[in-house]
Amino acid sequence: MHGWTGKILYVDLSNGSCRREEIPTKLLHAYLGGRGLGVRLMRDYFRLDPFDPQMPLIFAVGPLCGTASPTSARLACVSRSPLTGTIYDCSAGGRFPWRLKAAGLDVVFITGKSPEPVLLAIDGEGAELVPAAGLWGKGTRETVALLKQRGSVTAIGPAGENGVLFANIMMGEGNSIGRGGLGAVMGSKGLKAVTVDGSAVTRIADGERFDAARADVMRLFRASPVIFGELGISEYGTPALVDLMAQRRMAPTENFSSTFFADSGNYSGPSIRRECGAKKDGCYGCPIQCKKSSAQGEPLPEYETVNHFGALNGISDLHAIVRANTLCNELGMDTISAAATLSAFGEARGRFPEASEVPGLLCDMAYRRGEGELLSLGSRRATQRLGKPALSMSVKSLELPAYDPRGAYGMALAYVTSNRGGCHLRAYPISHEILRKPVPTDRFSFSGKARIIKIAEDVNAAVDSLIACKFAFFGATLEEYGELVSAVTGVEYTPESLKAIGERIYLTERFYNCENGFGAADDLLPERFFSEPGSPGEGIEVAPIDRARFDEELQKYYRIRGLTPEGTFADRKFLEGQP
Amino acid sequence: MRDQIDKYAAKLVADRSACPEAIAFAAQDDVLIASGAPELAPLAGRVLLRLSSLALLVARPSLPFAEFLLARAATGESCIVPQDTETRTFLHDIPFLRKEDLPEDPAPEIARLLGNRKGVIVEGVGIVAVGAITVEQAYINYSSVFHSTFVKYLQDLLSGGFLLPGEREAFQAFRSRWLRPLLASGLSFRDHLSQDREEILSEVEAVGRYTVERGLVDSFFGNISARAGGLIYISQTAASLDELKGCIDPVPTDNSSTTGITASSELLAHRKIFEASGARVILHGHPKFAVVMSMLCETRDCPIKDCWKDCPQVRHLGGTPVVAGEIGAGGLAKRVPPVIGATGSAIVYGHGVFAIGMDGFGEAFAAMVDVENFCREEYFRRLDALC
Repeated sequence: MHGWTGKILYVDLSNGSCRREEIPTKLLHAYLGGRGLGVRLMRDYFRLDPFDPQMPLIFAVGPLCGTASPTSARLACVSRSPLTGTIYDCSAGGRFPWRLKAAGLDVVFITGKSPEPVLLAIDGEGAELVPAAGLWGKGTRETVALLKQRGSVTAIGPAGENGVLFANIMMGEGNSIGRGGLGAVMGSKGLKAVTVDGSAVTRIADGERFDAARADVMRLFRASPVIFGELGISEYGTPALVDLMAQRRMAPTENFSSTFFADSGNYSGPSIRRECGAKKDGCYGCPIQCKKSSAQGEPLPEYETVNHFGALNGISDLHAIVRANTLCNELGMDTISAAATLSAFGEARGRFPEASEVPGLLCDMAYRRGEGELLSLGSRRATQRLGKPALSMSVKSLELPAYDPRGAYGMALAYVTSNRGGCHLRAYPISHEILRKPVPTDRFSFSGKARIIKIAEDVNAAVDSLIACKFAFFGATLEEYGELVSAVTGVEYTPESLKAIGERIYLTERFYNCENGFGAADDLLPERFFSEPGSPGEGIEVAPIDRARFDEELQKYYRIRGLTPEGTFADRKFLEGQP
Repeated sequence: MRDQIDKYAAKLVADRSACPEAIAFAAQDDVLIASGAPELAPLAGRVLLRLSSLALLVARPSLPFAEFLLARAATGESCIVPQDTETRTFLHDIPFLRKEDLPEDPAPEIARLLGNRKGVIVEGVGIVAVGAITVEQAYINYSSVFHSTFVKYLQDLLSGGFLLPGEREAFQAFRSRWLRPLLASGLSFRDHLSQDREEILSEVEAVGRYTVERGLVDSFFGNISARAGGLIYISQTAASLDELKGCIDPVPTDNSSTTGITASSELLAHRKIFEASGARVILHGHPKFAVVMSMLCETRDCPIKDCWKDCPQVRHLGGTPVVAGEIGAGGLAKRVPPVIGATGSAIVYGHGVFAIGMDGFGEAFAAMVDVENFCREEYFRRLDALC
């Protein structure tokens, strides 16, 4: 087999068993890998409670992983989110996915609950559960350091152990499996870490075709100002967006009560480079190297993180923001949700936190003590308990990232149609509404956005299954990645066939959610965006979103997707028609 | 979306790339719209329905070059492989369908090909191009195919001459009727561009329009900049040069802000050119004859195969230096700055022309027109000598 290994490792933490099995080839061809394959493997489990011991926690790589395909050293982690209640996946890069593939695996499928803390150690063909009581309670950095000799490590921190609903699983290199609280799912199983090592080589069906496709991808990367431009993410990381979002007047500020923060220049890309000595870093084998680390090797915050610990909480001290990021990583906690929950809490109590208060509050969250017990539930549950539910700036309980929807109407629509809650990465309309890739669209118009969002969701579902990084698509397209995956696997894929696979994945996720009670009533933006304007400036007015027009576009979206006006499936047997 | 369809149908007529009576668009949101030429609009709709894209354009090109390339292609070939930089980078190749291979309803076959490429040539129909997320994208892809087939056909003529019945006559008609004299006159430029922001923005917008109106681009792509104090005002990436209002980024020369992440992919080249030449303004376009002639190399037995990026030579066309180099972060930004100062213009292999002005855009525009006119004359001189 080329591209795939065709192998899945089933791990039952309840009885301690580990066994390898074959993955049906037709599933690999139909779902590719990563998110798609993981979502398909959830078919018999999606109704379970996220903390049910039988709820799977799935790590899946794609057919491109293990090759020199640019940005493909990634995996998807799939389960059901305890924060949102939706099906959940997160794409994450690093050396771990590469090593997982080199251990001869496409998927690790973990169920059950260990009576005592354990770690899963995979070494080539072998896999075993190892007692890990000594690691329980430790931060992620120390955990990773202690397990380094076993290969690549992914682990949870105290937040995951304590069931914080937005706990991350952290990769050894500092990458996160973030947002939806899969760290808490891992913690509920008593699984502290997974280590993996291996040396198998991913086979490529047509090396010459692969080299040509790779050259095409790299040429497009070099032609992209966002990727390799001198002001792009390769140079400055995603904080390159700080200045742009400020200029566009769509940087969420003080719990989205305004969209411009006068001090954002303190944590812009150039400021981080200057103040922290930022150097290039990134996922294994990635040519872009968009992650940035300090001179001491400490991962530096992404755009979402600097904005949310900055503007969203009214904090302008870069070093305080960097410390908050480091602390979240160490505790194993999502920075966006942590900062947004602090912000909502701040508005609810009438005072945003001082920079000096943040570390204490983050620790309280992770250990669920004092006010942290409430904050560990995320902004929706916390504000509900405080009697101010309108202050949670979330969709389906997932806190919104750092693109104010009043400044980009496609983003507004995509937040509510995302199957994992308020996420910017499902359709990623910022790409065309702000960054002008592949072509610019009018950010203050809904015209055509329903179709555009649908197409982009399908494309990105395929991208998350190949797997490649979405940043690659600031330059390349599915034309080039279709060539790559065809060359690697020997199976012919075109952009159109990949989009069809993406559509299948998206609809499967939506079906799972609908079966669990989600519908149009959950496809909602917070009221604030329909009633309050953003901050004007530089000739830009940021008006409240026209609710009637928004609803009209959402209904168009449902029709394009073949859903009912309630956003549900007319055909309850949808899954039976899917491979 | 109807306003978008009307807008880009008008652009196709204005830039004379399509026959006005043979243009049809289809676009789909929750419903499908197909409009334009009655014999083409239904086909556009049927093709688009089979694609997960927003828009599609079917049009008969105003020049028969795409069909000539198809007719000249050997039996068994199924695509044209352009060599110019823009199409090499973005189109890769252009598939075609011969009339004899078209089924009664060609829509499924056209859709199959467009499932993997941005544009396709259909004999007897024209160019069919898809826009994944906008109507504009369909227009861009049509224009790219038109541009690349124009360039490739003219290249092929220089090596193979006329091969088909009627080819010579059609080419003569192109030369005498389609081509118009290219002039820099009749346009208004500021002689000495001031440091005033509004004046600079206004001038850049005007020069963008001139560049498109005089046909110095493919579709509407190119880039323009002006230096003032510590800022470079430069057109944004993917911006229509004829619609630059609101699409010009002020980029600090000391990189103290990253707002210019949306600036043209050639920002680095512009910066280096400013540094090397001391120029005030830069104009970059893709005039067709300069693109054709830049790829004409008479070196024999050269070990370099990927000339567009690897050729280390500085060749000359009428005194204008020709250098290799890929776009964006490729080699162009290294190779153009050292050579452009001496002549005021430079040609990039298979790509286009950079021209500078020390005081204003009049000088740069005139330089680009001069380069293109020289290349046009030289092309026909060579062709006439051959045929």
